[in-house]
Amino acid sequence: MANTNDAGVEALRRLQQIDPPSLLAPNPSVSETARSASQYLFTTLRPFSPKSPLDELLVDGYDAEQIWHQIDLQSQPLLSTLRRRLNQFVKNPEEIAQFKVPLDVGKKLEKKKRVELEEEESDDFDEELDDDDDDFEGVEKKKAKGGSEGEDDFEEEDDEDEEGSEDEDDEEDEKEKVKGGGIEDKFLKIDELTEYLEKEEDNYEKGEERDEADEDSEEDDELEKAGEFEMDDEDDDDDDEEDEEAEDMGNVRYEDFFGGKNEKGSKRKDQLLEVSGDEDDMESTKQKKRTASTYEKQREKIQSKIVLMEKANIEPKTWTMQGEVTASKRPINSAFEVDLDFEHNVRPTPVITEEVTASIEEMIQKKIVEGLFNDVQRAPKLPSKAPREVKQLDDNKSGQGLADLYEQEYVQKTDPTSAPLSFKDELKNEASTLFKKICLKLDALSHFNFAPKPVIEDMSFQTNVPALAMEEIAPVAVSDAAMLAPEEVFDGKGDVKEEAELTQAERKRRRANKKRKFKAEAVNKLEKKARLEKKADNAISCQVDGNFFIYPYMSNAALTSHLLLNLSHMFIFYYQPHFVKNIKQLLFQLLLYSEFLNAVSLLHKLDLCCLLKQRAEDHVC
Amino acid sequence: MASSSMEVDNVLSEQKVLPPKPKFEPLKPHEMPGAAVQFRKVSVPPHRYTPLKKVWMDIYTPVFEQMKIDIRMNLKGRKVELKTRHDTPDISNLQKCADFVHAFMLGFDVIDAIAILRLDELYVESFEIKDVKTLRGDHLSRAIGRLSGKGGKTKFTIENASKTRIVIADTKIHILGSFANIKIARDSLCYLIMGSPAGKVYSKLRAVTSRMAERF
Repeated sequence: MANTNDAGVEALRRLQQIDPPSLLAPNPSVSETARSASQYLFTTLRPFSPKSPLDELLVDGYDAEQIWHQIDLQSQPLLSTLRRRLNQFVKNPEEIAQFKVPLDVGKKLEKKKRVELEEEESDDFDEELDDDDDDFEGVEKKKAKGGSEGEDDFEEEDDEDEEGSEDEDDEEDEKEKVKGGGIEDKFLKIDELTEYLEKEEDNYEKGEERDEADEDSEEDDELEKAGEFEMDDEDDDDDDEEDEEAEDMGNVRYEDFFGGKNEKGSKRKDQLLEVSGDEDDMESTKQKKRTASTYEKQREKIQSKIVLMEKANIEPKTWTMQGEVTASKRPINSAFEVDLDFEHNVRPTPVITEEVTASIEEMIQKKIVEGLFNDVQRAPKLPSKAPREVKQLDDNKSGQGLADLYEQEYVQKTDPTSAPLSFKDELKNEASTLFKKICLKLDALSHFNFAPKPVIEDMSFQTNVPALAMEEIAPVAVSDAAMLAPEEVFDGKGDVKEEAELTQAERKRRRANKKRKFKAEAVNKLEKKARLEKKADNAISCQVDGNFFIYPYMSNAALTSHLLLNLSHMFIFYYQPHFVKNIKQLLFQLLLYSEFLNAVSLLHKLDLCCLLKQRAEDHVC
Repeated sequence: MASSSMEVDNVLSEQKVLPPKPKFEPLKPHEMPGAAVQFRKVSVPPHRYTPLKKVWMDIYTPVFEQMKIDIRMNLKGRKVELKTRHDTPDISNLQKCADFVHAFMLGFDVIDAIAILRLDELYVESFEIKDVKTLRGDHLSRAIGRLSGKGGKTKFTIENASKTRIVIADTKIHILGSFANIKIARDSLCYLIMGSPAGKVYSKLRAVTSRMAERF
């Protein structure tokens, strides 16, 4: 290897020294040097292009085109990787500083990479891309610079190559590291992975199915897939498809492709700025990742939630969700903390508000006003038999002597009918009489079930009730049985004879008596007249007699009227039936004397008096 | 054999005509083999002296007129003396009059005591409070008060219910009436002495008297 390296270096140097115009003409030596140089370059770049099928540039007997194609085979993926790496570096300039002093490409480099990887975090896929791009651009730079500073270039190349290779390996190791940091699980063991990778690195230069191993390792590491797919998409569709298919097997996550924040993605981005559309997607996603976009935040939140929920689902349920739970199956006093919902058989206590009290009071008041108390009324107990007569004890000194007492007792025993009325019997009698009286009065008022007043035979003065009372509408219950009998009314004496029955002598006797009477009365009248004439001025009161006659020959009409008026007044107060006839006479005389006014007034007064008296008498009866 | 004896008896009876059964009138007091005239002396206690003087004629008249017993007041000896007359119809009259006067001396009214003269079966029973229950001092006074009642109404109630007359003279109680009635009155008074309230005694009285009334 060293010899070839030296030869190659020599060839390159010589190429640099050649004048450009001399290249226009075909020159076998130049071509020979060019071929060897390119061969050298190819071999140097071979480690950085893992997917190129050629291990060595075949130059013997090949055309320029064929050689070019070989180079192209190798360089195209390199270019893309380098570009991406450059873009990454553009984005994250700080990653440039992470490049270390270049070492020999090979095991030393690998060791260093491991050391570096342990310190760095890496974007898995992007780093790989960037590594490729770095390698490519390292190559480009070399070519561009020519031989200005071979060693520097070489160093640069080597650096870049180293970086690229480092990065390549860094990718993997970093990926492994990141995974170890956050995502190591039972399937992925970082230590195992690193061992494996080292082994594969050993096999790398031998070229023993590196790709497959890588792919296997990548497949083992589920997180690399997306990045590799995207990286190699444009270059190696087959590989990408393979990789994609391989990665579809497991769960693809954002972190697989873009990792976390503050990673080598920035470096990659710087190097890969001018990359095509697919890479733009990568860039955009990288951008999102770096600024912790809202979408990302949301996703993170949801992810954390999902994690929690899955964790909860896996765990056994809380006792509240377990259905029938006895006290032994739940912690002590846990039922207090939980708001249990169960059916209450008890009516909830009423909340006493003002409205409630007001309604109650209103009800009470209404009941009081109506008198609708729900008093329990005793059911009326009908007496089955008459109540026994309870003997009343008399605590007064008995009026009767003991002898009388025993006498009564004896009499009662022998003759029960003649038993004297007991105190109770007297009360009974009194009550019965009162009741009868009331019944009579009620019957009279209502004219129902009329029964005439019972005749209580007792000594009392009878008044001669006129028969007119019978014609009144109101109390009908006046019987003329209580009136005076005709013989009581009659105030004559002896045997009364009619005119026809009288004998002559009797007639003469009667006439003689009459004359005597008349003469006597005439004398009296004259005397009275004289007295009256004296009192003519006053004329307040006049004695009212049973037989009072007005002289029709009184000239003093005024006096007469005056007298009559007074008489009427007297009549109002002292009504006697005898006066009816006299009053009629009075009236006639008045009318004769054309004292109409007075007569009418008198008549009115008389009418009133009559009515009043009748009423009064009726009430009395 | 019997027939022959019977015949003999009959023959005997037929032979002798027995006189009619004699009718013996009850002996008048003066005909009695004992003393011809019988006396009774009833001493007058000092608290009855004035009342006796007041109602002397009420006593004297029925005794002398109806009972036909001689009665006089021995002022010096403070006694009422009773003596049978020749026309006293029955020797028991003297006793009755003596009882009547004695009843008055005990404290009964004349009108009540007169019943003794009129009815045969009236008796006077006397007992003391201490016979029923030994009471001393205030208890005794209270017992007497219980017996009388307020204004004498308890006493009157018992009198009226049992048809008796009661005289409560300090610690002595006299009851005048027929035998059964005396018993009723006595029982009521005993309950009162022993401490029953008046109401309780009334209820008992009521029950007893109603039963008595129903019986006859």
